[in-house]
Amino acid sequence: MTRPPTPIRNEEFYAIVNQVGEGTFGKVYKAKNIASGKFVALKRIRMETERDGFPVTAMREIKLLQSLRHDNVVQLYEMMVSNGSVFMVFEYMDHDLKGILSQTQFAFSDAHLKSLCQQMLAGLAYLHHKGVIHRDIKGSNILINNRGELKLGDFGLARFYQKRRKSNYTNRVITLWYRPPELLFGTTVYGPEVDMWSAGCIMLELFTKKEVFQGNDEIHQLDVIYKILGTPTSERWPGVNSLPWYELVKPKDIIPNHFRELFQKWLSPAGLDLAEQLLAYDPAQRATATQALEAPYFKQEKPPAEPPTG
Amino acid sequence: MATDFWASSQYKRWIVDRTALKRARAEDLQYVDDPELLDFLEIFFSNLLARVGKKLGLKQRVTATATVFFRRFYLKNSYCETDPFIVIAACCYVAAKAEESPVHIKTVVTEARLVFGSEEFGIKSFPSDNSKLAEMEFYLVDDLECDLVVFHPYRTLMSLCCKENGAVITEPEAGELGHGAHDDSGEGKLELQEPAIQMAWYIINDTYRSSLCLLYPPHMIAIAALYLTLVLHAPTREAIRAQSSNDTSSQPQSRPPSSASSSSNPRRSSRSTPSNPKKPTQDIVGFIAGLNVNIEVVASIAQEIISLYTLWDRYKDDGHDSIARTSFPRDTFRGTKRAAGGGTSTSRSGTPGEESQAPLVVTPSYLVQLLVRMREARLADIAHPPNGRPMAFDKRLERTQNA
Repeated sequence: MTRPPTPIRNEEFYAIVNQVGEGTFGKVYKAKNIASGKFVALKRIRMETERDGFPVTAMREIKLLQSLRHDNVVQLYEMMVSNGSVFMVFEYMDHDLKGILSQTQFAFSDAHLKSLCQQMLAGLAYLHHKGVIHRDIKGSNILINNRGELKLGDFGLARFYQKRRKSNYTNRVITLWYRPPELLFGTTVYGPEVDMWSAGCIMLELFTKKEVFQGNDEIHQLDVIYKILGTPTSERWPGVNSLPWYELVKPKDIIPNHFRELFQKWLSPAGLDLAEQLLAYDPAQRATATQALEAPYFKQEKPPAEPPTG
Repeated sequence: MATDFWASSQYKRWIVDRTALKRARAEDLQYVDDPELLDFLEIFFSNLLARVGKKLGLKQRVTATATVFFRRFYLKNSYCETDPFIVIAACCYVAAKAEESPVHIKTVVTEARLVFGSEEFGIKSFPSDNSKLAEMEFYLVDDLECDLVVFHPYRTLMSLCCKENGAVITEPEAGELGHGAHDDSGEGKLELQEPAIQMAWYIINDTYRSSLCLLYPPHMIAIAALYLTLVLHAPTREAIRAQSSNDTSSQPQSRPPSSASSSSNPRRSSRSTPSNPKKPTQDIVGFIAGLNVNIEVVASIAQEIISLYTLWDRYKDDGHDSIARTSFPRDTFRGTKRAAGGGTSTSRSGTPGEESQAPLVVTPSYLVQLLVRMREARLADIAHPPNGRPMAFDKRLERTQNA
């Protein structure tokens, strides 16, 4: 008696073209589906067989991605096991935002930038609706293809959260430059607002072409934020002084808010309004993704969003 | 809901039919005298999973996920060519990670060794080396095709029922899919006494002793468990009886009141009792009838659950009843006939009289011995095949087996 036929293994269907990057836990390759000629991204999961086996973070990412499907979220086509490695097979994306902004050959009109911003927010609105916090929104995790579509990628730090009540999570998430002040103040009780701060950083970065808050460490990161947005007060941010690390990292001097004067040469008035709402100190006052999509910047102010192509 | 069942891999890939189940057991069937023993093995393995899960402090739902992983793995593999004990440990280990309550690999190895190596089972072969479990985990995840999201009947039960005072039963579990968008108003839910809800919950636990989780969508299993509760939980049954006699008095054509709650023909009773949405007290039968599911399927699942209990009555835990049945005491279903076509033991292979049937009472140690015999018989077959040529076989599985 033979075993029931196991499904055909897919490894011979993909030919690796080259390595294109390094994710949270493993290398990423560009590969070609030999049958269809389509390109995919293969992300190899680093297995620590000797220690704790299949990484729990990888499992979380797989589970998350399997349950998500949206135009602005990178799609996991399938999982593949080959030569003792586990691969995640993603749709291929030509660029990431970080690369695209640093290369001068890409010129974006205001309508293009508005579209990119809108697509990012649409992706986030979907994630948050599904009860997922990304927790690592940054330029290199925002992917763009040659059709001008933007998709959120790398869910290595993402997790499900409870909508009705906030739970305790680690505050050691989100790359420092995109990390919201409440995490820098040590909170472990948070929700999707943390992604919205990062989205605010990205929005500014789309226009300025460089990261806005470039701190060297947690303390310096807050100083950099203060220099632009001013120091938080209990009026602007009720409850700030009861956050875990407030006494350790509280501002020494009072700095006024310079946000508008610094960015008005880059952004339109409605754009400034939205960015400011995304970078609200108080997580409770920060715009949600759904609110942001309804902002006058998208709904009223010209030019209307137009996806960048080519 | 963060993920919906109809879009899930569970619905698309992991609900199979009886033919597929039978095919998966084909090789094992060669090495047992009575196919019924394979059903006993299903009970035995899930008891072990529950035992290891308990030792690891896993929640009910995590153990249930581990059990589903185990069943899925054995859709592609045979008991006799693998080591089910290390598979059990790996299932618990992976389920704990997949359900966001990870346990250290060393802890799994230690606790599994303690459970399996106990006097009751006497399995001394479990490897003390972490890497063996990690290796098995890899094969397991591969055969599971990385489908790690499992839906269970518990959530359906909780979304259908609330306690009598309208209080909602909450089961807060971090990381659970879809918990975010859960609507928790008691409205439109079936109000039941707490012991009744408890009973339905226990019945669901018990269904994991069989392959039901591979055959039916979880919400159907939940409804079947609820249905059995309504029939078998005495106070609830009385309430329904009272309701239906009210119904009959208000109707010209009267039925004998007992027919509504008679467990001998429950399906007809639920159909013939009209649902009355305007009624102030809750119409339980109407609620079930209004669920818009195929009630025949519910009835056949219920039938299979009863068959499971009948079989389970013959499984004796040697007094080690830490994973005892909490739903019904033994012999509740004595005399109940196994459903025709419901069990897997309807056809008997080989010539009658030549082979012995499963003993009247089956114990864990009997089953451990059975597994050893099955594996040895298979190895002998490989070494001395009927055609005289030794077969090439899967090195990978051999490694796990020697693990």
